[in-house]
Amino acid sequence: MSIETLSLAPIYLPLLGAALILVCKSFFPTKIRRLAEYMGTILGLGLPPVIVLFLYPTLQQQGSIDLVIGSYAPSIGINFSFDGLSILMILLAACVTIPAWIYSRKVGPAHSNFTALVLIQNAAISAISMTSDLFNLFVCLEVMGVVAYVLIASSQKGNAVHASFSYLMFSSSAMVFFLLGVFGLYRLTGSLSYDGITQGLAGLGPSEQKTALFSLVLLVVPILLRVAVMPLSLWLIDAHSKAPHAVSALLSGVLLKIPLFALIRVLHLTPLASGMGLPISWAGTITALLAVLSALAQSDAKKLLAYHSISQIGYVVSAWGLALHTGLETQAGALLLAASLFHAFSHALFKALLFLSIGTTTDCSGNRDVYMLRGANHRLRQEGEVLPLTMLCYFIAALSITALPPFNGFFSKTLLTYSLKGGWQYAILSVAGAGTVASFMKLSRIFLPSKQPFEPIVKESLPRFPFTLHLGLSILAALCVLTGIFAPNLIFFIGTLLGGAYALDYGNQFFFSASNLLKTLYTLFGGIALFALAVSKPGSKVLYRLKAMKSSFSDLFLGFAAAIAALLLMLLQH
Amino acid sequence: MIIERILIFLLFIIGFAAIVAMPNIIKKIFGLNLMNAAVVLLFILEGSRIGDQAPILGDGVKHIVDPIPQALMLTAIVIGVCISALALALAVRLYKATGSLDINVITKRLESEH
Amino acid sequence: MKALTRMKIMLTILILGLAVLPVLLSDTPWPVQARDYLFETAKSDTGADNTVSAIYLGYRAMDTLGETLVLLVSITGTMSILINLGRNKVDEESIGFSLEPEKLPRHSLRTNLIEVVASKLGPIVLLFGLYVMLYGHISPGGGFQGGVIVASGIVFLALGTELKTKLTNTIVLSRIESLSFLFLVLASISGVFFESGFFGNPVKSLQNISPNFIILLNIIIGMKVGTSIAVMCIAMMGGSHDH
Repeated sequence: MSIETLSLAPIYLPLLGAALILVCKSFFPTKIRRLAEYMGTILGLGLPPVIVLFLYPTLQQQGSIDLVIGSYAPSIGINFSFDGLSILMILLAACVTIPAWIYSRKVGPAHSNFTALVLIQNAAISAISMTSDLFNLFVCLEVMGVVAYVLIASSQKGNAVHASFSYLMFSSSAMVFFLLGVFGLYRLTGSLSYDGITQGLAGLGPSEQKTALFSLVLLVVPILLRVAVMPLSLWLIDAHSKAPHAVSALLSGVLLKIPLFALIRVLHLTPLASGMGLPISWAGTITALLAVLSALAQSDAKKLLAYHSISQIGYVVSAWGLALHTGLETQAGALLLAASLFHAFSHALFKALLFLSIGTTTDCSGNRDVYMLRGANHRLRQEGEVLPLTMLCYFIAALSITALPPFNGFFSKTLLTYSLKGGWQYAILSVAGAGTVASFMKLSRIFLPSKQPFEPIVKESLPRFPFTLHLGLSILAALCVLTGIFAPNLIFFIGTLLGGAYALDYGNQFFFSASNLLKTLYTLFGGIALFALAVSKPGSKVLYRLKAMKSSFSDLFLGFAAAIAALLLMLLQH
Repeated sequence: MIIERILIFLLFIIGFAAIVAMPNIIKKIFGLNLMNAAVVLLFILEGSRIGDQAPILGDGVKHIVDPIPQALMLTAIVIGVCISALALALAVRLYKATGSLDINVITKRLESEH
Repeated sequence: MKALTRMKIMLTILILGLAVLPVLLSDTPWPVQARDYLFETAKSDTGADNTVSAIYLGYRAMDTLGETLVLLVSITGTMSILINLGRNKVDEESIGFSLEPEKLPRHSLRTNLIEVVASKLGPIVLLFGLYVMLYGHISPGGGFQGGVIVASGIVFLALGTELKTKLTNTIVLSRIESLSFLFLVLASISGVFFESGFFGNPVKSLQNISPNFIILLNIIIGMKVGTSIAVMCIAMMGGSHDH
């Protein structure tokens, strides 16, 4: 087995697993189907991360593994390039998919079709993180998207089907614009691989450069749509809040981040595109603030979490955009990219944990309204949970997202805001941090004791709480704690994966220094103050007005047009 | 030369306008199909300018058209058809759930149920 | 529609029209490198005369795999949405299915004419579909095109009443579908064991490249596409008669 074929294993192993599951579904009865599902999952979800880590020493020597699929000539075949970023993406996907799948065994959709679809999605994610070819990126993004549409609609309720329909129409029409971008670039350069396009775009005249710029914007904005930066984020609220819980965890955790980091290679196609980094970064910062204020206004628990997804992605995009603007070869750029990757990783873990634990809690209580629901822990005990594990996992995740030590959110947010130091973005992100604290205090009120009298819990009539549910939650919680404790090592590892020119040595002295701890304290107090403001009378009136603003189907496209217009205007000024 | 591209552009814009402006969800799906058709036509038309024979090698074949856009568009057509099929199934499900095919009415009825 | 909504829609269409226009109207001459390279080497690299087949089953076979995945996932999704229209619970155990039949009397739109003609035409269309599938490497055609024709042939058979064949039985069709997906994945991995990499032609090391690999891929893809679309169409018609 050569190194090249091993590096492609994360693509064909999940596909093999999915094919085996589907064959066993058609031919054999239930028992063999279950066995096939478990074997397919071990093959497709368990093996690839192991293989990927096994390839890490080779990457340290070589830098990246470049290959052409099928060993044809590079000018006409599909080029793939496996580098450190691919390893991180595949590990991120595995860390979220495996606990979410374990969780879904008893609670969520649990048929063979669901497992096969999750495996196919993992194969597409691995392909996106490795591809160096524009049309292959299109096809793999469509595969990832179509699995998302089907998974969102899998609960068969009217709300979920409506959310899936809006997301489908919006994303598919945007991908047609992506095809137009591919048309423009192929016409100018005659090649579809990133290297060929870079060479072709290097020697162009001014009018052709204008066409190249338009094509690039038409390429970038549909990918940013999947990342849900404002103004392209209106689809996310319904799609993530109405989906089944395991699917929400997968969508929020994995699908929002993979296209962003695949975009790095697209933006390196030509130096013309480097002007896009700063506007995207600013869009991310404003997203972080606006989304967290909208989150404060929500009454539905899962919608609140969906708005928080948008806000945290805003953090990631701000650092990412600024990293591309300053250039990845500089020390500041490398730090920014590493910080944004680390925050993406932490966010995937704690957001998945939040969706799963809040999902369980609201299912057992029958109510999703954060203003009405109280005494949730008692309801969980009524459903048969012996230890308050769900509440514990929820609090671990909530403490992570509000950036309190020693969980991973504290380390990732501190590193991110430190790397953006000195400027308006730092201030805006700090305010957003306070907003996060406030809205999680609001969400945590569901665990306060209820004012109504409790029914006593009769021990004999308790159903058994599913073990797989607790297993899924505990794996994610353990990962949150571990990535927090070992954060300096993880940051160093990420730094070496990204090229290793600068060693990112941020130890515990940096994170627990006086200024950082003081800043955390300020954020906490600001959050408490904001929370007090939000539950007061004038505050709740403002928030009620905010919640009542609804967006229609055509507003999605207005956001798309606004994003394209903004990027084009900023780029054409140079 | 240019009149064909203007016509394809019109087809594209009409398809996009159908998605955004028409309230009926089946017409939105029509619009998506129109947009896909316009892009497919554009690729194949422009790719055919550099030759005058079909891209099948054989005796006496000298100037074939560019086969790459044709191969890419095979993939794009199949993807477009599959997405339309899924969208139509979702539309039928929405109709069964709310009794209407108008997106504004559907949104209102689903909200009031919830 | 309110005036504000109308203005928003006009603005959206205007901005996107202006953004797309320069890309559509650019004057650069279409590049010829790809065409020249393929004219020289398509036959010797893959063995096919049809250069389009050489591209999408040889050089860019990964895109074809992705396209098959989109087909698989969307048909799975469509079927699960349509099946549950007639029922309330999702029944995982059933490997056969039928939709709630249409409320119209069964034969009100299906006249005798349709049934007789369709059942007679069915085998002819199937034969034509198989021809298009198998000759994809030397004439226009291939797996997808032939597969769709095969699907319509199966639908013709299902519309007619003379034949009660296994071919219109949804269980048999879904078994063929899942087997052909497995064979497709195995065929793509086979290159790994023959030293030409993932999706490489396993018989590449031979001197005279024969188009066998392309023919094999065409057959597998044709079966997959044909049976999955036929399953969906038959399910939409209300299940098979003799289920």
